[in-house]
Amino acid sequence: MMVLDVTFWSFLALLGVIVPLLQLGGRGRFVRALSIFLLLVGILAGLAVAGVCFWKNVPVTLRLPSVAAFPLSLAVDRLSAFFLFLICSVSLPVCIFSTSYVTHHYAAEKARWMWALLSLFILSMAVVVTASTGLAFLVGWELMTIVSAGLILIEGDSEERIHDVYIYLLMMHAGAAAVVAAFFLYWPYAHGLEFDALRSASMSLPAGLRGAIFLLAFVGFSTKAGIIPFHLWLPRAHPIAPSPVSALMSGVMLKTAIYGLVRFGFDFLHGGPRWSGYLVLAAGAVSGLLGVLYAIAEHDLKRLLAYHSVENIGIIYLGLGSSLLFLANGAPMWANLALIAALLHTLNHALFKSLLFLGAGAIAHSTHTLDLEKLGGLLGRMPITGAAFLVGCCSIVGLPMFNGFISEWLTFRSFLYGSNLTNTEAQVVLPLMIGILALIGGLAAACFIKVYGVAFLGRPRSTEAEHAAEAPLNMRLGMVVLALACILLGLFPLTVLSPLASLAQLLVPGSTAPEEIYFISRVIPWVALTLLGALVVMQAVRRRQRVAAIWACGLPGLTSRMQYTSTAFSKPIRSVFVSVYKPDRTVNRLPTGQSYFANSISYRSQRTTSFEKFLYRPFVDAIVAAARQVGRLQTGNIQVYLLYIFLTLVSLLVCLRFLR
Amino acid sequence: MTMALGAVQVLILILGAPLARGIIARIKAWFQRRQGASIWRPYAELGKLFQKEDLVPPTSSLIFILAPRVMFAAALAVAAFVPVLQPFALFGSVGDFVLMVYLLALGRFFLALGALDGGGAFGGMGASRDALISTLAEAPLLLALAAVSISARSASITGIVGGTLRQNFFEISAVHILAFAALGMVALAESGRMPVDNPTTHLELTMIHEAMTLEYSGPSLALLEWAGAVKLNIMLALLISLFGPWGMAGSLSPAALGIALGAYLLKMLVLMSVLAVIESSMAKLRMYRVPDFLGVAAALSVLAVFFTMIAKR
Repeated sequence: MMVLDVTFWSFLALLGVIVPLLQLGGRGRFVRALSIFLLLVGILAGLAVAGVCFWKNVPVTLRLPSVAAFPLSLAVDRLSAFFLFLICSVSLPVCIFSTSYVTHHYAAEKARWMWALLSLFILSMAVVVTASTGLAFLVGWELMTIVSAGLILIEGDSEERIHDVYIYLLMMHAGAAAVVAAFFLYWPYAHGLEFDALRSASMSLPAGLRGAIFLLAFVGFSTKAGIIPFHLWLPRAHPIAPSPVSALMSGVMLKTAIYGLVRFGFDFLHGGPRWSGYLVLAAGAVSGLLGVLYAIAEHDLKRLLAYHSVENIGIIYLGLGSSLLFLANGAPMWANLALIAALLHTLNHALFKSLLFLGAGAIAHSTHTLDLEKLGGLLGRMPITGAAFLVGCCSIVGLPMFNGFISEWLTFRSFLYGSNLTNTEAQVVLPLMIGILALIGGLAAACFIKVYGVAFLGRPRSTEAEHAAEAPLNMRLGMVVLALACILLGLFPLTVLSPLASLAQLLVPGSTAPEEIYFISRVIPWVALTLLGALVVMQAVRRRQRVAAIWACGLPGLTSRMQYTSTAFSKPIRSVFVSVYKPDRTVNRLPTGQSYFANSISYRSQRTTSFEKFLYRPFVDAIVAAARQVGRLQTGNIQVYLLYIFLTLVSLLVCLRFLR
Repeated sequence: MTMALGAVQVLILILGAPLARGIIARIKAWFQRRQGASIWRPYAELGKLFQKEDLVPPTSSLIFILAPRVMFAAALAVAAFVPVLQPFALFGSVGDFVLMVYLLALGRFFLALGALDGGGAFGGMGASRDALISTLAEAPLLLALAAVSISARSASITGIVGGTLRQNFFEISAVHILAFAALGMVALAESGRMPVDNPTTHLELTMIHEAMTLEYSGPSLALLEWAGAVKLNIMLALLISLFGPWGMAGSLSPAALGIALGAYLLKMLVLMSVLAVIESSMAKLRMYRVPDFLGVAAALSVLAVFFTMIAKR
């Protein structure tokens, strides 16, 4: 086991110290190339440790020097190993992609910071999921937030960008405060914040405190995960980050929140209070539906993908929520199934979402725009990128043979078992979630038909798109690796499902591996064989084909402007769900008064989500108003301040007297 | 033997699909007091199209050619889920209804991509409209299937069919009636029939499915038309096997199989007549009325799920 310890130490040392130091302190091309190589080696080391721990179930524990009374130690148990595996397996292709991205986009100075921060970012996420004490967890958590904010600022520091980063940091710290509070509520019951102590203390917690801890953890981690209504930062921060960083933020960083929720909800609290399942299910349903509805209305590719992260985290929450509900109703078998579904979707989303963000990066690299209305016809110009992006689209939509399907299928099946519970509410709520998940799936399909059809198919809508060239080799390599992972996991899911089932058995005591995982693993290859066989036969009997212009209604020819745009494509869905969007439309005609013969008409339609308007705005206003009231205390008169000090002293003395 | 019969069932669904289309057209012609074309005409049309060459727009990519083929392959795979003569199908017990619905979605996804790849205005128009309808149809479809699956205590199609077979015809529950109504409405939307879509129009204001296939020709068009017919056939066969499977062959004796085939054809004829009546007597809905239509289907399917709980008491 020494080997694993050493490998894990070298992972930490390479990513945390050696690579950043070489990048920032080293001189010359060779040193920098060496450090990038060492970064990849380090990630591979992490992948090896995670793989061995996850598949062979060998735990690794590292003791670090403690800070005062707080021990800092890292441990890789099976749950940590799964998330560490996720982090490393996504980081590796993302770093390969970055090698081209950074050389093409940044001057030397920025490139160094990019690599140093990227390395620290991956390390911080690894620390979060392998921490085995509260302090180590919080250190990693904070580092992750700050380093990612730094990475966003690498692209530039315009006022708008700084404002968005400010909102990001603000919300992250509000969330972190809730997580800190959740840890410290344990204080009277568990001395020290080692996870083992927390685990055993959870048994003796009073019910009210259990509820409070769960609620705080839920709020804290949901803020990180981008669950609606805590999602405000997500569509701001993800699109403005460099594409590889967006891929890591959306694909991996959000997953650390899922890790936290699973750690608290399942490992520490064993399901939490009875209402926990309903809370998580409701949050998942709202985020899933609204996330995909907001996504469909977007035509900025990265913002659209960011909203899809909200949606997919919603789907993960649906799985977690039903698992908690099964647990509360004494059905560990199905709790196990739902938990597997949620965890698998976590991994799947990490793979396909980072693939899609890398694809967006490759598009931006070749066309210098991410506006869907200016793209089109890219598949012919960027075939490898296009093929990989198509795999990503099929996976996120959940089409059979791709990985997204497996986890959505497992989630559907777990909902179906809800009807077997004896609790009447759960018996109705869970099967009805099938409808919600189906609607989410349908909307996601519509959205990615739009994305792929408008960006990659048809005619180019701008000269940039027309002259787009294929992305450089390393960018393609990164995307192809992720696309292959999506396909392999979609065709042979059992490789991950069977260790996941063992993991779920640890988290849900008294359960065995559900038969569904074997069921789906048996049938999918047959379905794939049928589909591919049919395709091959049809390809073999294909007759000649001829290129011919399409009918242009008698006009000389079609232009790219005659194609359906992204906005036009989503119009029917936006009209049906208009109550969700509540757009503000203004039409100005000049000269005014003449309704038929206007010289110019301007039309402007914009959406501010209702959450900003009705939830955050009043909240912020209330805080500002309260601050004004408190501000009245500040008179600037020294006598008054002396009076405050005197009053505080007296009241403290009085308190002490009565507390004794 | 059951496996061989399973393969025969797939062939019935695939090869019989154009015939079903022809018969529906004939019944509709009868309503309109026309003589109508031969019920075999769809085969002749497919044969003609397969003889021709594929015309490909100059700006399109591989997806344009791939889409009809994926669509047909998906229809073929779905056909293997549906029992016809015996309460068994090739994928009927190894796959479940969720997989079946998602295979349908696979075909639709690629069809819409192919439509957008044409580079004209109509493809996008059709894809956009179809996206709305299929999005809204997905939830009632899965919920209705979930309701019958809950009451049969099985998620596989053959399990559900077996559950219905074990019931007495007169014990048919509210769950089945509601789910049948919901599934029937969804079947109309999924296969692009009236009142959701008019398969005989080429008017840009109203067409949905036809707009998506507008740029296709030759074998690609034939595959699309055929796959569309197979989808309709599958939907009808699914309604029969889930809600009225009585008469299916319990054993593999020739007599039982003969009865099963006769019963299937009779039930199919009844459903096709109903479809023809609907198409002859109703006008196509405005597109923004379709969500209401599917909303009713969704409400019915939600009620069906509610009733599964009551039925258990």
